[in-house]
Amino acid sequence: MTTELLSYSLIPLLSALAIPFLGRKNRKITEILANVTLLAGLANLAYMIFHPMNRNSGYAVFSFDGLTMSMLFTIYLVAICCVFFASVSGMVKSEKNSFYPLVMISVSAMSSMVLAKDFFTLYIFMEALAVTSFALIASEEGTLGIEGAIKYLLLTFPASALIIIGISLMLLAGGSLRFDIMSQSFSTAHFAALAFITLGFAIKAGLFPFHFWTPDAYQGAPAAVSAYLAGVVTKISGMYALVKICMAVRLFGENAHAISSSLLLAGVITLVFASIAALTQKDMKRMLAFSSISQMGYIAAGAATLNPIGILGAILHIFNHATFKTVLFLNSASIEKSVGTTDMRKMGGLEKNMPFTSWTSIIALFSTAGVPPLSGFWSKLLIIISLWITGFKFAAVVALIFSIVTLAYFMTMQKKVFFGKPKEELKEAKEASPSMLAPAVLMSLIIVFSGIFFPYVFDFLEKTL
Amino acid sequence: MTTNLIAVGLPLFSALLLLLISEKTKYLKELLSIGVLLTSLIAAGMGLILSMKGVQTSLNLEWLGSLSSFSLKADMLSSFLLAAVSMFSAAVSLYSFSMEKKGSSKWFYFNVLMTQALAAGAVLSDSLITMLFFWEGMLVFLYTFIALSADSKETKNTALKAFLINAVTDLLMIIGVLITGALAGSFNMSAISGSKLTLTGWATAGYVLMLIGAVAKAGAFPFHTWIPDAALNSSASFMSYVPAAIDKLLGIYFLARISLYLYQLDSFMQIVLMTLGAVTIIVAVMMAFVQQDYKRLLSYHAVSQTGYMILGIGTLNPIGIAGGLFHMINHATYKSCLFMTAGSVERQTGTNDIEKLGGLFWKMPVTAVCFIIAAAAISGIAPLNGFFSKELVYKGSLETGYVWFFFAAEIGSFLTLASFLKLGHSVFFGKLKPEFENVKESPFSVLFPMVIFSAICLAFGFGAYWPIKNLIEPSLAGIGIVSSHELAGFHPDYLFAFSLAVILLALGNHILGFNLAGKRAHKASDHIHHAPILSEIYDMAEKKFFDLYELSMKFMNYFSRLLFKSDRFFDKITDNMPSGFFGYTAEKISAAHSGSYSLYMSLSLIGALIYLFLAGGLK
Repeated sequence: MTTELLSYSLIPLLSALAIPFLGRKNRKITEILANVTLLAGLANLAYMIFHPMNRNSGYAVFSFDGLTMSMLFTIYLVAICCVFFASVSGMVKSEKNSFYPLVMISVSAMSSMVLAKDFFTLYIFMEALAVTSFALIASEEGTLGIEGAIKYLLLTFPASALIIIGISLMLLAGGSLRFDIMSQSFSTAHFAALAFITLGFAIKAGLFPFHFWTPDAYQGAPAAVSAYLAGVVTKISGMYALVKICMAVRLFGENAHAISSSLLLAGVITLVFASIAALTQKDMKRMLAFSSISQMGYIAAGAATLNPIGILGAILHIFNHATFKTVLFLNSASIEKSVGTTDMRKMGGLEKNMPFTSWTSIIALFSTAGVPPLSGFWSKLLIIISLWITGFKFAAVVALIFSIVTLAYFMTMQKKVFFGKPKEELKEAKEASPSMLAPAVLMSLIIVFSGIFFPYVFDFLEKTL
Repeated sequence: MTTNLIAVGLPLFSALLLLLISEKTKYLKELLSIGVLLTSLIAAGMGLILSMKGVQTSLNLEWLGSLSSFSLKADMLSSFLLAAVSMFSAAVSLYSFSMEKKGSSKWFYFNVLMTQALAAGAVLSDSLITMLFFWEGMLVFLYTFIALSADSKETKNTALKAFLINAVTDLLMIIGVLITGALAGSFNMSAISGSKLTLTGWATAGYVLMLIGAVAKAGAFPFHTWIPDAALNSSASFMSYVPAAIDKLLGIYFLARISLYLYQLDSFMQIVLMTLGAVTIIVAVMMAFVQQDYKRLLSYHAVSQTGYMILGIGTLNPIGIAGGLFHMINHATYKSCLFMTAGSVERQTGTNDIEKLGGLFWKMPVTAVCFIIAAAAISGIAPLNGFFSKELVYKGSLETGYVWFFFAAEIGSFLTLASFLKLGHSVFFGKLKPEFENVKESPFSVLFPMVIFSAICLAFGFGAYWPIKNLIEPSLAGIGIVSSHELAGFHPDYLFAFSLAVILLALGNHILGFNLAGKRAHKASDHIHHAPILSEIYDMAEKKFFDLYELSMKFMNYFSRLLFKSDRFFDKITDNMPSGFFGYTAEKISAAHSGSYSLYMSLSLIGALIYLFLAGGLK
């Protein structure tokens, strides 16, 4: 573990412990504490990243890399947005006081995963994250939440098994879990261990054909939880580790390329499959879930090129995906609150009533589809370029074409929900309150500005990776 | 050259000036235009006198770099044409002074002035590129002329038809000019004529393309179809100016230039030209014969007479060529006059339908006399100008040895006379209809140009010696054609007997038709119109079955529909098929997410196995 950043995982944990006691009398205190904890963490991170002294020195004063920093930033950003949204919208039933502690624990677990230096530590916190995720999905009352949660558990538990098998193999073969030591005596056992671990994280990340739990879980969970899960949790528990593995596989040279090529194949199939599946979804949250899966495909494909540009693209795409998917999920929650459903067939013409929701959705979906100059364009561009220059030209073309399909299904969604003639029964629909809109607007601003000032973002990551 | 340039520059600037004058001013526009065009006529006349004295002037300006210079040259032929063009412009501007049915007077005179300027430029041009510049400019004003002459949908359609026919043929002509210029190494006509091109290989293509441009301008078959339509939908002023005079002058002038000046034609092209001429004569006169509208009947004759000019030039011997050129100026004179009488009758009675007209001779005596003179001239009755030019054409075609063309021309003369007997009889003779009891003669400004033109018909007839000797022969000499025969003069030989026979036949035919139709003059053509076989052909022609433009429009319709269909087809391929495929696949995938644990688990398991095989190096 990186000890100098340990506070980012410990403070949320302490907060999680404190909330049930402090909030027993007053629910407000729970919300305030959770928000304050996360906001403080985010401010702290932002200070470290954006402080001119640090920037000018090329971040040389830190011993960690930009990946860690940006992932921590992403975690805190999405977490604060979702928690803030949940607290002002009142959509999460927090009578049992379970939501905020769970989010706090999962933030702590994710931060620890990001800070972990070896796979065993990473594995432990991943398991902790899985348990909290299960509980979060199940927090929706009714059968859908329970069903989603159980599917999540059943379909991802083999991943834990595979990862622990891989780790055991590694320890058996070399006695060490450090990649630099492993690469000096790379053996078949190492290879097998790596293959198992990769497979395990691929299942966690929900690549095809291990994605089946995702739509049900996202649809079943409360919208704020869906945003949180789709925005960061699955990315950190699966994709982050995969990117780490790909960075490590680079060390092993030709020997391990079969692993990364399989991952690339899985990534491309995922993005194709999930994009097509998203086309005809009737439920907004389900469509977003499929979109989320297909973006996982982009990230996996980008990381699996093993090219620095591809890995950079993958990291950026994790960040961008966190921003735009959070916006879309939070907007779907706002719509659900004002219309009472997420079924797109029952919507239409909400643009007039909910202009902010509509516009933030447009920004987010354009970013997802990779419309310049929004941030999603740059990360997709990096991924496609890296696919092309590493020789996977077919994959690059497919990735390009399916970003158009992405635009197609999102435009369909936008049209069905916001454009067209307002339906009679929706005439009374109201725009979400300003505080509910705040997270989406903030994220949209981040999308726009990180797109426009992309060179600085790129510079930061390139310097510190 | 400066005097000649007045005829080009002055109308051009006055046309622009005219646009500044308000529509509300009375007579200012008219008087300005008439003054300018009379000045142009005087200038052109002075230029012609200079040329007749043997002075050749030219103008050469740097233009378009090495491609071509802006060169004008007033040789005898050009000066002659310039004077003729200016004369018709001046006459029509005077004629239109009190004609109400000509559209907006401002735009009418604007068009006249622009046409005069551009036509004058075109006949003076020595460089083919310069000529194209003026020639194509006229195309624009042809369109605006027709389109602004009346405010109806048909007028716009006719304007478009005229524009499209001339635009397509002009495009072909441009290609022809480019080929010619490339082959000759120069676009300068005097330079090309130094070593004429012979019809081999690309040169044939170049000649034929320019030929199409020239005869289409002149309004020969099968490019004539807009003229009868314009007769119905535009004004008499326009008809007596552009299709009757300017287009004939320019088309035949250019035909003579390319056929005699730039190219050395062979006997095959001679047959082609003469056939084109003969077919034009016969087809158009057949149509003219059965028309029931004054101007429309005249318009078919305007086409038919073009055939004589092409036939004359196509003989390639000096007699025929002289006949063709002489016929050009004669035709312009009497056809302009005839259209003016049509306009005059229309102005006073309000109709041009010959069935409704009748017995106007004593009501409109000047118009009627002018009509009779011009009709006699067009029918080739001696000793009017049409007789002499036709005689030269007959002689020329007989000299080639192809007697058939001579007979075709004679049949044309027969039907021409027959149709004018019918026209004159039904308009000016017979019983006066009660509704025309109070009809008066047209005003002076309308009558004056008519009288002038019929005077020219008489003068060029009785004194045919003078124009042939002083205008036609020097013009031909200027482009290197000298006749060994005496061209001018009256020859009471077998051709004269032949023409008398034709006149008698036509008279007999008219009396026969008149009586067969129950003494109704306008039905005097019915015995031929409704003859077996001919009747069917006429029906088809009336339905525009032989109209190249309508045919190609129909084809274009099919073609565009085909394009539309193929567009739909490709649209299906690029649009419907992918979306259909994706839609179908997406439906199937959605259906596969049925929520069944066992399915999910087994798929995950299979996926994991495949992954492990692949990661293990399975190819």
